[in-house]
Amino acid sequence: MNLNLNLAFRAMNLSMLYAASLLVSVDRREEWLSEWKAELWHVADARIERSAFCWHTQREVAAFCLGSFADAQCLRRQAWDEQSKAVNVHSSAMQCLLWLASLFVLCAILACLLPGVRAEYDTVLHPVRPNLLLIAATNFDDHQVPAITYAEFQNWRSSYQRYFDGLGFYRTDTQTVALSATRNGKFIVALASTNMMTLLGLPVRGANIAMDTDRSLPQVILSYDMWVRSFGSDPHAAGRTIRIGEQIVRIAGVLPCSSWKPPVNPDLWLLVPDAQLASGNQDASGYVVAHLTKIGQQAMDTERISVTVRGMGDHEPSFCGIAINGNATGPWRIYLFALFLAALALPAVTSLSMSESSFSSHRPSWKQSMSRWLFLCAKLALISSIAYFASLDIAYARVGGYSETAELMQLMANFLLCLFGFRWALMDQRQRCPVCLRRVTHPARVGLASQTFLGWNGTEMICVGGHTLLHVPSLPTSWFGAQRWLYLDTSWEFLFADLTL
Amino acid sequence: MAAETKLSHTAAMILQAIHAGYVYGFSIMEVTGLPSGTVYPAMRRLERDELIRSQWELQSIADSEQRPPRKYYKLTAVGKTALESSRKRYPLLERLFPVEEAQQV
Repeated sequence: MNLNLNLAFRAMNLSMLYAASLLVSVDRREEWLSEWKAELWHVADARIERSAFCWHTQREVAAFCLGSFADAQCLRRQAWDEQSKAVNVHSSAMQCLLWLASLFVLCAILACLLPGVRAEYDTVLHPVRPNLLLIAATNFDDHQVPAITYAEFQNWRSSYQRYFDGLGFYRTDTQTVALSATRNGKFIVALASTNMMTLLGLPVRGANIAMDTDRSLPQVILSYDMWVRSFGSDPHAAGRTIRIGEQIVRIAGVLPCSSWKPPVNPDLWLLVPDAQLASGNQDASGYVVAHLTKIGQQAMDTERISVTVRGMGDHEPSFCGIAINGNATGPWRIYLFALFLAALALPAVTSLSMSESSFSSHRPSWKQSMSRWLFLCAKLALISSIAYFASLDIAYARVGGYSETAELMQLMANFLLCLFGFRWALMDQRQRCPVCLRRVTHPARVGLASQTFLGWNGTEMICVGGHTLLHVPSLPTSWFGAQRWLYLDTSWEFLFADLTL
Repeated sequence: MAAETKLSHTAAMILQAIHAGYVYGFSIMEVTGLPSGTVYPAMRRLERDELIRSQWELQSIADSEQRPPRKYYKLTAVGKTALESSRKRYPLLERLFPVEEAQQV
């Protein structure tokens, strides 16, 4: 019985210690609990007789355990005090740079994860071959319409070419494509001559994987949009077989995202030999892609020219040739342009002056001035980097590939982020103590607004390190136009003795 | 903490007890007669102010005596100076628990 009671009290005492330990910060809890448990063992050893149960001694031991709450509270208070000291670091230059650097890392990681941003880089890395021409007819809405039959193309290709050294043909058709046993849908399929990809100069992604597979089947190349939309950007899509109409074909690879959009944006490019193109619908018209020779380049002085082809018989049809502009602006160029615009617009939103005036002849040392300028440069560099990645995140958050709208949005976001970011950096800099680079705090109104012309009135702020006072006039006057610093002498030090600076 | 810092009577008693050789929490409680809720928080503050420092006993020693290891406290140089100042302020402090008595215990 006595033993049971002793055990019950022991369990109660231990539970009190565990409850009190919850007040102690996690990093110190284990050690604190070990100390109290050891002390409890010694208290129990000294007080409790094992054979007998005594209420008085058990009460003493319980009172001892209750003291653990006061101890835990004391440790808790100490942890808070340490935290409040750390709060003083809040407005420091290092804190500011750390925040900006964290934001920069966050934006950069997000940009790396967004498929739209990757596609944008793809367009820059894989531009369409220069000096290409798309030959078609134009309708009243200025849309390019297919106008050349394969027979005309063959006839054209077989004749001597002065202006072109490469010709490719494709025609489009909407067909049912079975992506798997259960998934099928209608897609725009381009039946293209086998030289089409070489002519466009676009590298086919995953072609090396497909190379190892059975090449007896016809080869199909997926457009970037279709690869993202229907295959979920699967890197192992190349080499798989799909069915187009009644024909089984093998995926040879994926086209990179390109800034050039063909007139009928095909989802799949089925590369077929000439015989198959010739055996199809003889009246179906398509497009011709041509590469200009040097003579052709000289003749092509505008974006659009008229192309007259020697036809079959006496007929000489005329088409419209439009230069294929496959060079994307790229995010870097857009960024530089936005940065330039922001730099131009900055004087309109804030004063650029960083000149300091002070009440005394005291000036910060060259080292302090240098670190102040370095801090400003670091802030501006981080802000412009954040603006670069954040604008990409904004522009491509909901866009999976290259688009002109996204580029425009990137330009706008970049400009605004740079402009207001730089404005913040300059305004923040003006409120940094020239000695320790902390932000001045504790604003206090001084003077009366009604006595502006009789005495100084404005806001006074102090550096938490006790180095300076900043006076900002409410209304700039001829005798107090800009903010002024007052450097505090050593007599102020006792007020800031407890601060860890 | 500055050496001239004025300690409370409780803190001075604890310093004197540690100096006298009562080097762990329970023994300080016993000798000063203060409750655990006063002694341990006071020791935390003294440790924070670097007047005392703590050290865990070796596990092997505790094992040989079949008990859990204790946390021992010791005066630092700053603590000794603070105790000297406190003795001037509380002249009877030294007589409460003389060093010789603790060493005999």
